[in-house]
Amino acid sequence: MPIIEAKNLTYTYPGGTEPAIKNVSLTIEKGDFVILTGPSGCGKTTLCRCFNGLIPHFYAGRLEGELSVARLNVIERPIYEMARHVGLVFQNPENQLFALSVEKDVAFGLENLGLPRDQIRERVDWALQMTGIEELRERAPHELSGGQQQRVAIACVLAMQPEVMVLDEPTSFLDPLGAQKIFEVVSELNRKLGVTVILVEHRLDLASKHANHVIIMNERTIVLDDEPQEVFDSESARLIGVGIPKATKLWVMLRQNGVRLGRAPVNPEEAVQLLRGVLQRDRS
Amino acid sequence: MSVFEGFRFRHVHSPIHHLDPRVKFLYVLVVFGIAIAFLEVFPLVLLFLIQIPFVLLARVQREWIRSLKGALFLAILIFAVNLAFGYFGGTSPSSMFLWEYPLAMSLRFLVLVESFSIFFLTTSPDHLSLALEQSHVPYEFCFAFTTAIRFVPVLAEEAQTIMDAQKARGLELERGNFIKRVKNYVPILIPLIVSAIRRSLELAEAMESRAWGATQKRTNLYVLRLKSADYTLIIASLGMLVCSIYLRLYVAVPSLTMLLT
Repeated sequence: MPIIEAKNLTYTYPGGTEPAIKNVSLTIEKGDFVILTGPSGCGKTTLCRCFNGLIPHFYAGRLEGELSVARLNVIERPIYEMARHVGLVFQNPENQLFALSVEKDVAFGLENLGLPRDQIRERVDWALQMTGIEELRERAPHELSGGQQQRVAIACVLAMQPEVMVLDEPTSFLDPLGAQKIFEVVSELNRKLGVTVILVEHRLDLASKHANHVIIMNERTIVLDDEPQEVFDSESARLIGVGIPKATKLWVMLRQNGVRLGRAPVNPEEAVQLLRGVLQRDRS
Repeated sequence: MSVFEGFRFRHVHSPIHHLDPRVKFLYVLVVFGIAIAFLEVFPLVLLFLIQIPFVLLARVQREWIRSLKGALFLAILIFAVNLAFGYFGGTSPSSMFLWEYPLAMSLRFLVLVESFSIFFLTTSPDHLSLALEQSHVPYEFCFAFTTAIRFVPVLAEEAQTIMDAQKARGLELERGNFIKRVKNYVPILIPLIVSAIRRSLELAEAMESRAWGATQKRTNLYVLRLKSADYTLIIASLGMLVCSIYLRLYVAVPSLTMLLT
């Protein structure tokens, strides 16, 4: 069952002469883990802003086409209603935490919804536990590392129990270890709770093993939209300059040299298995 | 950035920190009222001394002494100005009153600083905003207040980064006369303001994404309830107020002038 459906989405920022995204059509199934990637300025962030209604409600501008997320027509529904279904995590962790303690920040969205106090308390505890940051409960945001701040931001969004979680380059301010931790947390939410994840990311080496759907944008529109293996294997992905996982690159290089190894691997583990299989076959 | 250190609230658990901020504010107002009611040195010294146990109980003596040190310069200034006015205003130089009045004025000031610093040193901004909220101040104002405090360290760090960047480009901050030095800060301020505006846009985006304004009846995770310690402080504050009103009206409070002449 599709949870996000876009048809010919075209959007121009107020005062802009050219559209920031052009004729974007996509379908995302419930429970998918989607990686959205492409060169800077290709419209990824703009597309993310469409998913929860920041575009067109917060940014104004001109939006054409159709977009439904979680069975709601984004163009008609206010942002606060979309916020219950779609959680957005931004690039800079610092600018999405406003309270003086982690606990208060996680409660912020729920307080806005006007939920009863016991329910807020329950959900805050749950969100902190799911993201593994219970021990940070009373800390102030400026006392946390970037990675911890970003996990708090994820907990903040998670507490609202959204069906879709959109993460817009959540790791660009983090070190590789912090980034990996974020991917693990998000992947766990995807597997355990069935949250549909849309992850905008450049570090495909680390992220792609969690994904089952990759979308590549270039020049304001979608150019590739398929399973990870198919996308990373394609010639156009390489030409756009997407950071294709090294395991896939190796596979492509081997193929160019005449070594054919079945399906393209997207992470080192798969590549190792593939190579080991071939070597054993050769030996016997 | 030592200037910003003062804004950084530290989470300390003490009986004073856990008091209801509204009750603490009542206490500050009572101290304020008593300090205004007396111009004699003795009651003011007494008022100064009875507050010290609060400071010790809250374990904020170091910060408290720092804030008093900061106020000392102003207290001396108040003393000097009042003394000069007294002297040139025709008070006889031989009378004790010439000295008592300025002394009382600066003591009064110190008592006020003392009680306000106890209040601010022991009240977390979160608590303060909660108190404002429960006193029916619109939530937008309370939110702006806590967010401002939240971003003080962030902006301080950013100012430092910009300063370093501009120095690396050859900007010399500590050079020239006073006017020139002030002008040196323009290349720091402009990027700082521009980035603060961009930051505020991102903040607004994040707020919208978390259902800001979904309902008029917003709940709050925390709620302030008066506990027995709060009632004790209320009674103590009101008791102090009643006693001092009685003293003021019906008892002749001895002044230094009377005692020494």
